[in-house]
Amino acid sequence: MATTAAPSRTVERPNIPSAAVRFPAIKDYEQVDREIAGTLRPTLGWFAALGIAILCMLIGATTWTYQIHEGLGAAGYQPPVMWGVYIITFVFWVGIGHAGTLISAILYLFRAGFRTSIYRVSEAMTVFAVMTAGLFPILHLGRPWKFFFLIPYPNWRLIWPNPKSPLVWDVFAILTYLTISSTFLYIGLIPDIAILRDREKNPVRKAILATLSLGWRNSDREWRHFTRAYLFLAAFATPLVLSVHSVVSFDFAMALTPGWHATIFPPYFVAGAIFSGIGMVFTIAIPLRKAFKLEHYITLNDLDAASKLCLFTSMVVGLAYLTEFQVAWMSGNRFEQDYFWNRVFGQWAWAAWIMLICNMVLPLSLFSQKLRRNPTWLFILSLFINLGMWFERFVIVVPSLSHEFEPWQWGSYKPTWVDYGILLGSFGWFFMWFLLFIKQLPAMAMSEIKEVIPPRMKHPDPQLEHELDVGYPHPSETGEYGTA
Amino acid sequence: MSEKTGGGVKRREFLKVVGASSAALATAACAAEDTGKLIPYLVSPDQTVPGVSTYYATTCRECAAACGLIAETRDGRAIKLEGNPDHPLNHGALCARGQAGLQGLYNPDRFRTPMVKEGDAWKAIALDDAINRLSQAVAQGRGAAGNAVFLNQHESGSFPRFLDSWLAAFGMPAHLSVDAEADAAAMEANRRTYGVSWPSLDFKAAKLIVSFGADFLDGWGASVPQQLNYAEARAQLDAAPRFVYIGPRRSLTGLNADEWIACNPGSELAIANALAGKGSIQDAATASGADAAALQRIATELSAAKPALVLSGVTGDNALDVALAVAAINQASGAVGTTILSAQPITSFDGMSRTDQVLAAVERMRAKQVGVAFVRGVNPAHSLPRAAKFAEAFANVPVRVSFSSYPDETTELCTLIIPDLHSLESWGDAEPVRGTISLQQPTMDPVFAGTMGTADVLLAVAKKDAANAAKFAATDYRTWLFSTLPGGDKAIAAALPKGIMAGSLGARTTTVAAAPTAAPKAPAIAATQGDFFLVTYPSPVLGEGRGANKPWLQELPDPVTKIAWSSWVELHPETAQRLGVDRGDIVEVKTAQGTVRAPALPYLGIHKNAIAIPLGQGHRSAAQMATFQPKNHDPSNVQWGYGRYARALGVQALDLLPLGTDGAGGLVLTSTKASISKTGDHRTLPSTEGSARQHGRGIAQAINAADLNNPERPEHEEIPGDANHAFLPGMRSPVAADAQGELGSPTSANQGILKGMYDPADSRGMTKRRWAMTIDLARCTGCSACVTACYAENNIPTVGAYWQNASIWADERPGFNIERGREMNWLRLERYFEGNLDGKFGVDFETRFVPMLCQHCGNAPCEPVCPVYATYHAPDGLNVQVYNRCVGTRYCSNNCPYKVRYFNWFGYGESDRKQYAFPEPLNWQLNPDVTVRGKGVMEKCTFCVQRVREAENRAALEHRDVRPDEFTTACAQACPSRAITFGDAADPNWSVTQVARDRRAYHVFEELNTYTAVVYLKKVNHPAAGAAAPRG
Repeated sequence: MATTAAPSRTVERPNIPSAAVRFPAIKDYEQVDREIAGTLRPTLGWFAALGIAILCMLIGATTWTYQIHEGLGAAGYQPPVMWGVYIITFVFWVGIGHAGTLISAILYLFRAGFRTSIYRVSEAMTVFAVMTAGLFPILHLGRPWKFFFLIPYPNWRLIWPNPKSPLVWDVFAILTYLTISSTFLYIGLIPDIAILRDREKNPVRKAILATLSLGWRNSDREWRHFTRAYLFLAAFATPLVLSVHSVVSFDFAMALTPGWHATIFPPYFVAGAIFSGIGMVFTIAIPLRKAFKLEHYITLNDLDAASKLCLFTSMVVGLAYLTEFQVAWMSGNRFEQDYFWNRVFGQWAWAAWIMLICNMVLPLSLFSQKLRRNPTWLFILSLFINLGMWFERFVIVVPSLSHEFEPWQWGSYKPTWVDYGILLGSFGWFFMWFLLFIKQLPAMAMSEIKEVIPPRMKHPDPQLEHELDVGYPHPSETGEYGTA
Repeated sequence: MSEKTGGGVKRREFLKVVGASSAALATAACAAEDTGKLIPYLVSPDQTVPGVSTYYATTCRECAAACGLIAETRDGRAIKLEGNPDHPLNHGALCARGQAGLQGLYNPDRFRTPMVKEGDAWKAIALDDAINRLSQAVAQGRGAAGNAVFLNQHESGSFPRFLDSWLAAFGMPAHLSVDAEADAAAMEANRRTYGVSWPSLDFKAAKLIVSFGADFLDGWGASVPQQLNYAEARAQLDAAPRFVYIGPRRSLTGLNADEWIACNPGSELAIANALAGKGSIQDAATASGADAAALQRIATELSAAKPALVLSGVTGDNALDVALAVAAINQASGAVGTTILSAQPITSFDGMSRTDQVLAAVERMRAKQVGVAFVRGVNPAHSLPRAAKFAEAFANVPVRVSFSSYPDETTELCTLIIPDLHSLESWGDAEPVRGTISLQQPTMDPVFAGTMGTADVLLAVAKKDAANAAKFAATDYRTWLFSTLPGGDKAIAAALPKGIMAGSLGARTTTVAAAPTAAPKAPAIAATQGDFFLVTYPSPVLGEGRGANKPWLQELPDPVTKIAWSSWVELHPETAQRLGVDRGDIVEVKTAQGTVRAPALPYLGIHKNAIAIPLGQGHRSAAQMATFQPKNHDPSNVQWGYGRYARALGVQALDLLPLGTDGAGGLVLTSTKASISKTGDHRTLPSTEGSARQHGRGIAQAINAADLNNPERPEHEEIPGDANHAFLPGMRSPVAADAQGELGSPTSANQGILKGMYDPADSRGMTKRRWAMTIDLARCTGCSACVTACYAENNIPTVGAYWQNASIWADERPGFNIERGREMNWLRLERYFEGNLDGKFGVDFETRFVPMLCQHCGNAPCEPVCPVYATYHAPDGLNVQVYNRCVGTRYCSNNCPYKVRYFNWFGYGESDRKQYAFPEPLNWQLNPDVTVRGKGVMEKCTFCVQRVREAENRAALEHRDVRPDEFTTACAQACPSRAITFGDAADPNWSVTQVARDRRAYHVFEELNTYTAVVYLKKVNHPAAGAAAPRG
């Protein structure tokens, strides 16, 4: 899977999925501990970033409070566009949440080596993205204080959620996904927490870490159980990657609305979710790699491999876009045809073209290996992908609703500052958690990296040392890892 | 039992007490609020039961026609106005303006007490004080003839006679009976030709209807009876008369016409003469810009049509000449006695003064010849063109007394205000048709104790005057009225429940006989300066401005343009393109008299040489007003400029008009040309219209009369996979709860055999009814009375006032919520244009009106998507919305193909919010049977479920079944076209079942398999011979 320069010698480690990955710049375990645990020291830049994130979150919270008080009219809803920025952003964040599980679970099962360095970041991103996404279905309610009506529990009102409604499926899907992905994240963290515990001097922190590490002692037996549990959870989470976003897509696909009522939605949404998730992984991992000086962990080879996945999902998504048009064209259904014509040439053409260019055209640049190995370009591209994927959901939600069956009720949509405030707040909320996470717990799986690098020999083999020197010139000498 | 078991509270006693007290609590809780008492009456009047409606028959005073009303009152408050089925004018129907009378009664800006102007400030005074002041003023002013002017809103009945006798007793001249909307020219021509002011019109008998700008569905004459009759005429389908409309602008009436001949304003006379054979068609075509061939064709049709019905409502300087020419055509075609029933005149308009008489009075004021002026119900400061300089002249009158209930422009100029009672609070009468007296009785106690009926005020003043006390001995106006009505108290008491009695009040002639000579004659329009003819017309909803303070009417989109809470300038799309003006661009319209700025509206139905501006808006206050505070508004802070809902809204088009009257003394509304220029500003028009075109989607379908009996045209489109419709054939769909079952399956062998749960033997035994509705588009005229009826019945909030938006960084402009599509009209009237897609002038187009409401689908898309069962299907076919369950996901609306669900974006029903739609005392009108919805829930048409349940409960109490057609919905009840029928589609004895089997029946979006309960009947077109068939 991963592109690696041909090693002159490998140390085979069967049954360890990341065996094929090489971290040539990492000499020993101590370096891993030192460098990764070293990222946990708070810096001025981190405080600044956290401050901005909290500020944005507070803006969002204030705006939401105002919206609850005033009513949803404070937002920009313009019937018949009854869903807007909130549902768009909900689907956006759920989508982002998908790459994490894909990378940590599916790629684990597929033994894709390049996941090792980025999976922890992706997994954390997943949990926080789902936490963010989960706010939106509540936030967009007319009466958010009644959100528990959607939760099935025996109650004196004798109201049970409607099992036919995709919104109820959503509740189950999101809650399941949040549970599984956070469990998965935590299980994977246990050996690393133990490392931190062992290095910690502060008794309070040490006690907390000791509790969190569940008394991990690095024994063989523990590792055996750990890997079993991890494999089981990976297998358990894998179908969720497909099912959760399929369920989210049912919100649309189950409706009559032209532009929504399509069987292609589940695969289309899953591909889109993975695509957007990898975009967000780039957006987060590339600056992180730079800021923490971890270029030799998240190597260009890893980015290259992830870029290929990104290119693949982009093409799947592109195919889905084109298929939608083809289906509309061949359906003979005038409502569908009218809507899809309107999508690209009507009042929302600008949004559709943002979507098509960002998600279909720009990722084609990843056919070039040079660009795949250029972190700057990948970062810029990832921003376009994030934008494009947000607009994909915009194109699905808004133009469809504004151009439905009944021409008399065709309308428009213009968000207000309330929508934008809450959108900003969601980013603040997400990054607040994320920034807090990366200074408390390692953003990279130390134990897994250690599995990959060759252990220090008691008596170094001169021949091996030589081969290593010949085969792997130090990256700082070649500039292979770029300057990004 | 209690003796046996000893002391303590017995279970049965306990239950009794608990039951009685909860019943008492429940009763108190159900009663309307703000009474200060648990039960409104200490001693309950006979037959008044809390929570049960009492109905009073009375007379509508919202326009001069005097239709009959049934006022529904609950716990001593009027809550709904409906037409009186026994009334000879309206036969149970009622227009939007009539229904909105309630919002005049409960208007939050009504004067609560008399007020007097001291210096620049207004001071509230007691009624006694006000009467004393009025007595003094009258005593000072008595004497020389012509020293006083009394301007009274024109009304039929005894009050004008009473008023004149009072004025005469004080040595004052007779009052002027003013109606700013009346067509003086048509009345004058009627009097000269037929000898009556307004004959009844029988459209049914006509073979051809030609209207020269006569908007008989918009408020021209007695619109409700005219509309009833017109709808009956059109319901004759292939035998219905063809309708041709001639004029520069296609009004609502014009949109109902089969053909529109666009002509230059002022050229109607040439056309009328040509059609009558007195002039050349070619000359008429040249003068009017109309197609000579079309005119020739109509002339031929007209000569063949015996009888025809030709009407003139021209508002130009030659209006009388056109009206007389038209009358001659009618006489020649044998219309008199067949289509024009001069023997059955509508007498409501008798005795109306002419505008030139009002203008003469204004001139006398200007010349300081008037010592005291009274206004009651009229607002000349608004309804006369600015060129009349009314305010200036009025200021020369030392004592100016207003009996107005509302802070209008004229009242603001007065010195003393003694607010009148509303017609729903006072006694009165009218003689709408000869030989029938329509009684007006109080339906409730006055809303404000500080108000007093003007007649009673006048009686009190007379009693204070030694010379007149004996002449006006009646204790109150009621006594006076009863003493003058034929038949006496007993007959009146017997007639009151019905609201009408036989008898006549005697003929009434114009109160001021001699027309003044000084009134300016309007110049010929062609001689004025400007690029476009300027057409101004009274709004069909707001009239000349009277309706502007009623939020229902402001919220009701104009039936033609579908714009609410705004003024606009109509111009032809070609003109707009030439000027580079888009919809909503602010244009400046300039005449020699003034300029106004308003958003432009490209409209197919206006002559390319003309522009049009509606009247009704543009209310202003002379005083600088502090910002209106919707929350905690202090009623003593008077909202001058006609109240909070009207003030500073839109423009006053009369500012542009020169002062001129036509041959009959009426104000000329189409009297000048104007120039128009783009200003560069833009304002999105608050309109409920999305797309004006159906895009071939078959929502409003039509059929040509010639095709009705054509076997080649199938009655219904075949839809592949459609279910068998053998059961309930009219519905053409499986019925509730079976839609997804066997009845809905196109392959089921039991199709047409099973009746599902409607089978009497069905084990579920839930119901046997399937509530359904039919809407006949051949009858519907788009008048929108049903929309207002729905607002009134279902406590629907109005959302267009400028303060009803959010609080922070939100646009505060009128109609903002409507711009954003947030109107709450459970029943909306869609207006689709057909044909002339290019917007070319001279190409005719067709208009189709569709009332669109919740279709109560048997297979409703909204139901499965609701996560909390807030919307579900009732066994009797109703699609039910449970507000308390709704959490506001709005998914139901997204999934509704008909887009008939409405969301509460703000807390319109919460009195502590600025968006509150029912500020005190408007909330007194709320229907106690219907929940006022809170913020954040979805709502929609319920098929008036409260009426369904009320009828069912009543039937259950009387141990019987609901009788066929026993009740109906609010929209169907009000409809002046009788286009809506409601009932049980599963029972063939209900009319709806019969109507639904019509050959024209169709369901909207039938291909979606929603199995709707609303059946539409196709509109029937009567195109000119050789014209293309309509599409869609």
